[in-house]
Amino acid sequence: MTSTRRLDGLRGWQRWLAGLAALGLAACTLAPTPAPPLTAPPSEAPVAGAVSFMVFGDPAELRAYEQVVAAFEAAQPAVDVTLIHIPGQNDYRTRLAADFAAGDPADVVLINYRRVPGFASRGLLEPLGPSLLRSRVLAPDDFYPEAYYAFYWQGELMCVPQNVSSLVVYYNRDLFKTAGLAEPADDWDWDAFLQTAQALTRDLDGDGQIDQYGLGVEPELQRLAPFLWQNGGLLTDNFNEPHQLALTDTKSLAALEWFVDLQLRHHVVPDAAAAQAEDSETRFLNGRAGMYLNSRRIVPTLRESAAFDWDVAPLPSRAGQRATILHADGYCLAATAANKAAAWAFIEFANGPVGQPIVAATGRTVPSLRAVAESAAFLDPAQKPARSQVFLDQIEFVMIPPLIPNWADIEEVANAELERAFYGQVSALEAARTAGVRAAEYFEQEP
Amino acid sequence: MSWGTQAALLLTPYLAGTLLLLLVPALLTLALAFTGYDTLTPPVWRGLQNFVTLARDVRVGQAFQNTLIYVALAVPLRVAAALALALWLQGRRPGAGWVRAAVYVPSVVPPVAYALAGLWLLNPLYGPVNLALGALGLPAPAWLAEAGPARVAVALLAVFQIGEGFVVLLAARRGLSPEVLAAATVDGAGAWATFRYIVRPLLQPWLVLLTLRDVALSFQNAFAAAYLMTGGGPYYATLFLPLLAHEEAFGGFRYGEAAALMLAALVTAAALIAVFWALWRGWGGAEEW
Repeated sequence: MTSTRRLDGLRGWQRWLAGLAALGLAACTLAPTPAPPLTAPPSEAPVAGAVSFMVFGDPAELRAYEQVVAAFEAAQPAVDVTLIHIPGQNDYRTRLAADFAAGDPADVVLINYRRVPGFASRGLLEPLGPSLLRSRVLAPDDFYPEAYYAFYWQGELMCVPQNVSSLVVYYNRDLFKTAGLAEPADDWDWDAFLQTAQALTRDLDGDGQIDQYGLGVEPELQRLAPFLWQNGGLLTDNFNEPHQLALTDTKSLAALEWFVDLQLRHHVVPDAAAAQAEDSETRFLNGRAGMYLNSRRIVPTLRESAAFDWDVAPLPSRAGQRATILHADGYCLAATAANKAAAWAFIEFANGPVGQPIVAATGRTVPSLRAVAESAAFLDPAQKPARSQVFLDQIEFVMIPPLIPNWADIEEVANAELERAFYGQVSALEAARTAGVRAAEYFEQEP
Repeated sequence: MSWGTQAALLLTPYLAGTLLLLLVPALLTLALAFTGYDTLTPPVWRGLQNFVTLARDVRVGQAFQNTLIYVALAVPLRVAAALALALWLQGRRPGAGWVRAAVYVPSVVPPVAYALAGLWLLNPLYGPVNLALGALGLPAPAWLAEAGPARVAVALLAVFQIGEGFVVLLAARRGLSPEVLAAATVDGAGAWATFRYIVRPLLQPWLVLLTLRDVALSFQNAFAAAYLMTGGGPYYATLFLPLLAHEEAFGGFRYGEAAALMLAALVTAAALIAVFWALWRGWGGAEEW
């Protein structure tokens, strides 16, 4: 158990390195590759044919992808890229699964790293490691390892990371000023976080009902996970070979109880009825929540719609222990793609020094390429959030859940139990136990 | 061209459609129910293993329970509402046409739009339903945030989509012989007696037809509402069989289990219909048919 704890305590990419080393693959995958300058030409050789590319996102993201496609087609006139846009992320997932089931997915798709094993284990994706190692445009070293290794499956790079986002705290600067609160410090802790949320939770019209909540957060495993890790807890019994959830572990359970208490005891998060009436994102956008936990995903929406001043802060820490969870999508190549050369050329371009800045300008991504992330394309001082550097500072504290094919199922059952605890229908302990029992079958199940 | 040839030509497109779009997929689904299949690799024969796996999944029992509760709530309410409105609106009165149109309109609203409208109507804090209940001093449930009210809400929304049943019963009611109804009046029958002894028995075949159709329909038509309004929650309270099958197939790539689930749902629906039919025959319904 000791070794298990030690391994689970490592950050995601470190654990992968450990795993890869054990497999004798580290030398191969980390072979020094000369990093080309980011001004390299978009592709080493002309390609031709048709490529389909499916994405999700709001209109601003669609415009960015259209620009990427147009720039690629200008650079590679013999390639015709068909852009398929699905507005909502959930609808995108459904469409993705349906398309793969029909045997006719788009050639290039964006998939979250947590879902990649589910596709990769079924042979639905073309491994991209060899293409990346041959590339004259991109090299493994160009990427943040925290994102890069999250897309490994059984020793192979399956997708090329598009971003290296993580969970942060968005806050309404106007509400902070009204409440006379100082802005969150980079090193704030759980106590400061809770006190801030309490100060922001207010009954504005004196009718006994809370009109403004201190915090918006969904009762989900991927929101809870960073707090477990900060408290020294575990998400699963073993990272590389998980067999069960570890939410009943003493430190995990303590973190879970603290998380649940935000709603049940401190009432700084909306209860079930209030959450049903208005989801956390909408509540924050409407200025009725002081803080909101999310990844970089909502930046385009906030830039477009927020009628208040806002910024981001890192997740609070626990006794100096910092941790957050990786949010990253990757460009993946369908195994059924008819024209893999052209599809790879597109991935190389879209996720390279030309394409990444275009998408990053929408605010949606934390670029996975170091050079782009540390450039004005991401850290533009004229664009909100002013503290975008927070995303880069958090990268070294990024952790990931186990990369297993059925993780989406495990998250689903755990989320159902967490929700019950969060809204007071069962105790945190009972929810943790039930989640563990129900999730067990998915750890053992073949994909 | 003979009548038979004409009929065959006219029916051919429908028969072809039924064969290709209904029977063949249904038979394939039937076969898949006994296999492990993730769409990429060929199906692997599993016998009854999928059913054993489903029996161990707590969501499956919950989904069956939810679906049966939905059928028990929605079917009687839908048939009764269609009958009541058909009887009320069968006469030729000023404005009745508009009301009939209003009754039918929800049935042509796309399910997605209808579900989203329901989401707004039943918003626990800002929705018009709860605002109205609050104004009347009545308790306002949290609707989709609580298990019981969420089940009722999904069933209630279905009650407003009764256009087809309403039109069928309206036509049936108008088709009743005026002489029969006049004779009942001459014999001194009041409105209730006329309904009980004349109208209802004469409409019985249509009511049975609509009930059987609604039972079959209810096993699938709560999908959009649950998918869009509740996601199957809270805590699986509105997880209906089609939604669970969808999650298994498209969320987990477990097409074999999803097919087994739909097969079980089909058998359950058929059993319910058979029981209803047997009861009706037992009550002498077949003589009235």
